[in-house]
Amino acid sequence: MANKKVIETKKVSRVFKNGEIEVHALTDVDLVVKQGEFVSIMGASGSGKSTYLNIIGCLDLPSSGEYFLDGVHVNSLSKNQLADIRNQKIGFIFQSYNLLSRTTALDNVALPLVYDRTGRFDNPDEMAKNALIQVGLQDRIYHKTNELSGGQQQRVAIARALVNDPTLILADEPTGNLDSKTSIDIADLFVRLNDAGKTILMITHEPDIAQFAKRMVTFRDGRILKDERIENRTTKESALRELELTAKQV
Amino acid sequence: MKQLFKTFKVAFQAIYKNRTRSLLTMLGIIIGVAAVIMTISAGEGATKQVQDQISGLGTNLLIIQVKQERRGGISVRKGKELSKKDYEILRDNSVWLKKISPMVVAGGQAISNQGYKTTIVYGVSQDYFDIMSREVTLGEAFSELDVKLAKQVCLIGKTIQEELFGGENAIGKTIRIDKVPFTIVGLLEEQGQGGMGSDQDDMVVAPYTTVQNRLFGNANFNVFMASAISEDKIDDAEIEATILLREAHKILSDQEDDFDITTQVELNEITGEITDILTILLGAIASISLLVGGIGIMNIMLVSVTERTREIGTRLALGARESDILTQFLTEAIVLSAAGGIVGIAIGIVGNQIIYQATDFYIPTAGYAIAIGFGFSAVIGIAFGYFPARKAAKLNPIEALRYE
Repeated sequence: MANKKVIETKKVSRVFKNGEIEVHALTDVDLVVKQGEFVSIMGASGSGKSTYLNIIGCLDLPSSGEYFLDGVHVNSLSKNQLADIRNQKIGFIFQSYNLLSRTTALDNVALPLVYDRTGRFDNPDEMAKNALIQVGLQDRIYHKTNELSGGQQQRVAIARALVNDPTLILADEPTGNLDSKTSIDIADLFVRLNDAGKTILMITHEPDIAQFAKRMVTFRDGRILKDERIENRTTKESALRELELTAKQV
Repeated sequence: MKQLFKTFKVAFQAIYKNRTRSLLTMLGIIIGVAAVIMTISAGEGATKQVQDQISGLGTNLLIIQVKQERRGGISVRKGKELSKKDYEILRDNSVWLKKISPMVVAGGQAISNQGYKTTIVYGVSQDYFDIMSREVTLGEAFSELDVKLAKQVCLIGKTIQEELFGGENAIGKTIRIDKVPFTIVGLLEEQGQGGMGSDQDDMVVAPYTTVQNRLFGNANFNVFMASAISEDKIDDAEIEATILLREAHKILSDQEDDFDITTQVELNEITGEITDILTILLGAIASISLLVGGIGIMNIMLVSVTERTREIGTRLALGARESDILTQFLTEAIVLSAAGGIVGIAIGIVGNQIIYQATDFYIPTAGYAIAIGFGFSAVIGIAFGYFPARKAAKLNPIEALRYE
């Protein structure tokens, strides 16, 4: 069970053509992520990590190479099938939350269920509530987006990513818009979700946040530069201690 | 099906979230639909009024006229004038004509000791009242003898009674028309307003002999009014009158008639055609405002799609299919225009009532006007909603998510 491959890419490349110019955003990326892993993806801007995430998220298809998500051969799927697989197997978390404005936390979290065609969920509201409780927002269920802080909004977005019980959670710079303290809280939330069995892939710029994961993959120029286990994982406590120290130095 | 229902819910939520904008968008359609309904109904009202009036003339009516030709918009007499002899031939020899009356019409000023009024004097025979089904409410019509003797007697319409005599009984009193005194012998039954706004009670009816001798100064006629013995014999009557008149006018078999005979049915058809054109024209003008309303919807939907690009990207990322997004935005457009259509219909109906109350011009709200108004607004919703909705559905989720 624990050895089940959630992500498997074989020689995945992505080439963007802009007139005569070809941009090789990704070249021969091989990666396997197994169930229960927590992987952070690092890399400078233009290193190809966002392109890779788009492919993993079934928003884009590779120019060449094979991609299997939870055993499904993604390359051969139609547009509608891609939409359905995103709905069923992936939970997205974005840097700028992308919540619906002037809409309650509950309705935001229930949004993926609107597009569920499997009929496997009977009570969307109940499920959305549970997801909100899971991220610690039991007191904010009926608050509207604009009544929530940035950290709370990102928690709503995380609840939204959890609600359809996806195989994989994809986070694209989830702490990019948050202050250090809130970033640590969110990163800690990922750790706890991972402890509860969720497979997480997280893109981040911040090395401190990347250190919360179990494994770190670094991209450069469209290729994987480093792929290493993190021996000395940051915890919420150690991160907060560090934060206090820096504060004192200033 | 369930998916469609969920998408409808999403669309309704979006409309509710942007209440003010939705209302303003609907306003264009509301005004357009109300305008269409009110103009079409006004056209229908005019048609109905004219046709009621024509039917009021009696369904077996024939109008025999001197042939006229339109030259540069002016009617010019083409044939021979109708003579007293023509009248006598038709009166004495016809089998299918029940009654016939010559008619001379003169404008003139009617003066009583209380006031004066410009009016129209109809010189006719005693049979006119029966042919035109005009009742005499007070006093009585003049007799055949009065006509023969060219007596200076007349009947007056309600408008003349009111303006020249007020509440007084006018019977037995004298009015002067262009200095010629007439004794009033009867009051005509009220007819109400005629088609195209003419007042049918603003009239004086006198023996044609008197009018010819004293006012008109011409021994011939322009028009005969006649009735067939029954409605189904009206065609026979028309043919018979044609034969008799051709004979009287000595028209050769290869020559055209120098007169025109119009029957009730033809009259109805002609006015029907005119008012139909009027209705179509008015409706077309009103449709333009509906079209503008539709363009307003398209404009707002396009703005809305641009403004909600990130939302669309998010929905696509979370598993919405292109068809879900298309349905959502199309539903928004259709709901906006259909709701606008319904409100517009309500305003159109109420508006018709208000006009009726204020002016007495009866406007029946035509059922088909409502159908056209609603159908149009729904079609506009689909037509003008489809383009923005398709634009939304075809967005690339990656770019949409990154859109600032």
